[in-house]
Amino acid sequence: MPRRIPRIQKAAGFRFSPVYLLYAVMTILALLWLSPVVWSLVASLRPLNDPFYSGHIWFGKSLAVESYLKAFRLAPFGRYYVNTVMQVVLILGVQLVFSSLAAFAFARYRFRGDRVLFMLILTQMMIPTSALLVPNFQTIRWLGIYNTILAIAIPFWGSAFGTFLLRQAFLAVPSDLGDAAEIDGCSWYQMLFYMYLPSAMPSVTAFAISSISWHWNDFLWPLIVTQSDKVRPITAGLVRFTQLGEIGAQWALLSAATMIVTLPLLLMFLKFQKRFIEGYLHSGIK
Amino acid sequence: MNRRNPLLPYLLITPTLLFVAMFTIFPLLSSIITSFYKQRLNIPKFREPVWDGLGNYRELLSDEVFRQVISNTGIYVLILVPLCVAAAFLLALMLHAGGGEGSTAVLNRRSRNLRRVGKRMNGFYRTAFFYPTVIPMVSAATIWMFFFTPDYGLFNRFLLFLGYRGAQNWAGNPDLALAAVLITAFWKSAGYYMIFYLAGLQNLPKQVFEAAVIDGAGPLRLLVSITIPLLKRTTLFVTTIAFIGTFQSVDHVFVLTGGGPSDRSSLLLYHLWQVRFDQLNVGEASAITVILVLLLLFFTVSNFIFNERGER
Amino acid sequence: MKRETMYVRTGVLIAAALLLGTGFLFAAGQAESPAAEGNVEISIAYPVAVDAPIADILQKYADEFQAENPEVTITPVFSGGYTDVKTAIQTSIEGGGNAPALAVMLATDLYDLVNAGYVTAMDELLAAMPDGDAYIDDFLPAFMGNSYYEGKTYSLPFQRSAVVLYYNADLFREEGIALPTDWDSFAQAAAALTVRKNGQVTRWGLEYSSDWPYWLFQPLAIGNGKNIVGDETTVYFNAPEVVEALQYYIDLSRVYKAMPEGVQASWGTSTGNFAAGKTAMIMHSSGSMTNLLGSSDFEVGVMGMPGTVKPYASVPGGGNLYITSGLSDAEEQAAFDFAVFLTDPEREAEFSKATGYIVPRYSAAETKTMQDYFADVPQALDAMKALEYAEKELALQNLGEVRGIFHKYLQSAINGEMSAQEAMDTAQNLADKALEDFR
Repeated sequence: MPRRIPRIQKAAGFRFSPVYLLYAVMTILALLWLSPVVWSLVASLRPLNDPFYSGHIWFGKSLAVESYLKAFRLAPFGRYYVNTVMQVVLILGVQLVFSSLAAFAFARYRFRGDRVLFMLILTQMMIPTSALLVPNFQTIRWLGIYNTILAIAIPFWGSAFGTFLLRQAFLAVPSDLGDAAEIDGCSWYQMLFYMYLPSAMPSVTAFAISSISWHWNDFLWPLIVTQSDKVRPITAGLVRFTQLGEIGAQWALLSAATMIVTLPLLLMFLKFQKRFIEGYLHSGIK
Repeated sequence: MNRRNPLLPYLLITPTLLFVAMFTIFPLLSSIITSFYKQRLNIPKFREPVWDGLGNYRELLSDEVFRQVISNTGIYVLILVPLCVAAAFLLALMLHAGGGEGSTAVLNRRSRNLRRVGKRMNGFYRTAFFYPTVIPMVSAATIWMFFFTPDYGLFNRFLLFLGYRGAQNWAGNPDLALAAVLITAFWKSAGYYMIFYLAGLQNLPKQVFEAAVIDGAGPLRLLVSITIPLLKRTTLFVTTIAFIGTFQSVDHVFVLTGGGPSDRSSLLLYHLWQVRFDQLNVGEASAITVILVLLLLFFTVSNFIFNERGER
Repeated sequence: MKRETMYVRTGVLIAAALLLGTGFLFAAGQAESPAAEGNVEISIAYPVAVDAPIADILQKYADEFQAENPEVTITPVFSGGYTDVKTAIQTSIEGGGNAPALAVMLATDLYDLVNAGYVTAMDELLAAMPDGDAYIDDFLPAFMGNSYYEGKTYSLPFQRSAVVLYYNADLFREEGIALPTDWDSFAQAAAALTVRKNGQVTRWGLEYSSDWPYWLFQPLAIGNGKNIVGDETTVYFNAPEVVEALQYYIDLSRVYKAMPEGVQASWGTSTGNFAAGKTAMIMHSSGSMTNLLGSSDFEVGVMGMPGTVKPYASVPGGGNLYITSGLSDAEEQAAFDFAVFLTDPEREAEFSKATGYIVPRYSAAETKTMQDYFADVPQALDAMKALEYAEKELALQNLGEVRGIFHKYLQSAINGEMSAQEAMDTAQNLADKALEDFR
């Protein structure tokens, strides 16, 4: 209770603080940053046949969900959602296991060729997947997994980014601590699970977020290695609306499709950002 | 150090290495080899690869379009990366100062109540800046295409409000097309890098700042001589992934300008795509892949050296 | 905090272990199963370029076909836009996999597709048909123009469109302007329909986008008496008629002030402006007709682009049905049969009505379905009529590179960086060089 008093006093006096200015600037910036999605949300609620023109670019003549209905009619988004979730989980789960193992090895041990091997893995970050479509497609064929969710996921299982990020975090763990644990008879996986991984939660989270948003949105590779709607991800649905080459942009329809594709991810981020980001930020301070 | 099993580290990296080798190293090696062959799928006599030495590279270097593309890419990367990194840092700094844990980085301990409000606002700000990351580039670029529409596009409206009276056809004007591509990418990625700075800022040791404040250091002094140097590793990391990310994003070029007008907004990866799948020139496309990888290596390594040197 | 990290940790571990296991199981379950003896399984890859339920329509046709031919299974595969279909076909053939047997790809990709060995000629299959010649002759010649290579037939017109001029007929009536019949009257009409208030344009007379310019530009050159493309290795970029056409395009903005200056990336936005009455005329694809008719509250007129030596001109566009290479005889036959089935006049009429594409066969235009549709929507007939003076769409050897050159210099001229003559001379030069290897 005693705390209340200064607050009221301050409100009455309204002393200028740079913080106000900061909030003002931040709010303006945030609104600017948000404007595309806000516009898109509003535009998705226009009647389909309501043209956009000067002075008529936000709300249509009436609010309508036609665009959403049409989008759902043109693409099986329900099935796509399930596939996308499976795909993203299949990628991230394996990546986390593989990357933490590799990162642990690189951070904890010195071994012959470690630098070379590390650089070799890192090259993956520098090579755009779209440059390697043909050979990778051949590999998928060779593995006999064409047209499966596994085919979409498998090229990303070895993750240079994950390895790099986690190694960076693992390096922050003092090696003396590890040595001591080893002397106490701690096995490598106990060390990894009870010492290294907990301290690397920020990086795990950061990696998880970027991996999820990257693979949620990947569209060319999935289109190439799959052919049936049974296994295709949600971006395959989106492509139906972004590539309406012959008729010009259907802003309302496209906005609706974008909303359908991104809202789950956005909501997930909104819901978990506190848990995730704040959680890891706090755990990081020590 | 590892007294148990000398093979253990190798075993630990095997899964990652295996998949990286299978889906990156192997195809990369095959690209390097192919780059020395003339192979053009749309010419029957060159459908099968024919040894051509450095022919593809020579052809590229004398190709006016390729030089234009390289210069576009250079401008694009050298503007976008610093811009993104600076914006990410500033946004993170403001977020941190406005409502984070220790507003020690810039501001002193005044107005605790404000900070509490700020904490709530922070979630909002964070989402506002980060959410473009989770939107597919194709939709983001399409939304921006609308924003760039001459006359009523929101971006033009906004510029008009700020007093800009210049050309408005962003995607068609030779001097603006690359900027349009750049602005879209900036909006899309700055918030992503911000998250890393935010984490870096939160992990800074508070005591250092407290000590400095006691010594009478002002906010600017704190920023320049403590915050920025201590974030060196974060900066190195962020610039590295920003370089790589910048080279690899291409969807927005497809949607916004198609590389035009007159190749003014064509970027290396976009050009690679065109040569490979539109012109069916496998040899030249492989050579471009190799050049792309070399450029990335050059940028990341020099970035690394530059930052390391600053540390001493 | 501690407990939470532990949960996350164990959760991740368990999830990963489960996934690794199920992933492989899943893969095994989903792997392609070989077709049973005597049965043929083929798929057809198609793009979506208009906002019609094409997936449903094709699925319906596939079902009908299967009902008639129980030994054949047909799977329609949606593959993105035209570019994505081509990339998917390329990747799967080069990757050694079996590509969809039938694919809807751009008519203009013919040479590249044949040279690279991605597609198969249909002549034998056509010859085996009872009335093969009559079948081919029934397609509009403008559409068949991009189907032949080295005397062989490689594709069947399917979802085809044309460049047309959309005009706001109400505005023409209100302002008492006659419909343009040549370049002069067209430019004057466009200028007269442009409205300025205090120096600000409130309505453009014309929007003529130039962000992917060759297609919309071609009708200008054709109407002036010279197409930009000749045989498979010849272009006429710097023919006097073509340079004149380019100069005319530039003059429409510079001299007549009837459209915005410079390269206009307005393919996506001009339709909205037109429907809202903010632009009096636009050049666009006939594929956007359904959309424009639905969203405009005035009478929409459709015609070819007025010309000089021709009364008006247009150029076809869109996709043809190709049969891919590397198929077994049975698959090839099934693919061809399904292609013929799809191009049945009645089905084409229905498809055209649902999607807005132009019916590619005379007999399809004469069906009752189509005649009723024409009576109902005369603009659809006008779009088809626009093709009367059409010539072939830019298609030749090394298309990607040559088209890139043309775009580059056309845009340079439009943006005023070069004169029309200089730009087209350069383009001709470079294109000739790019075609050297193909002669």
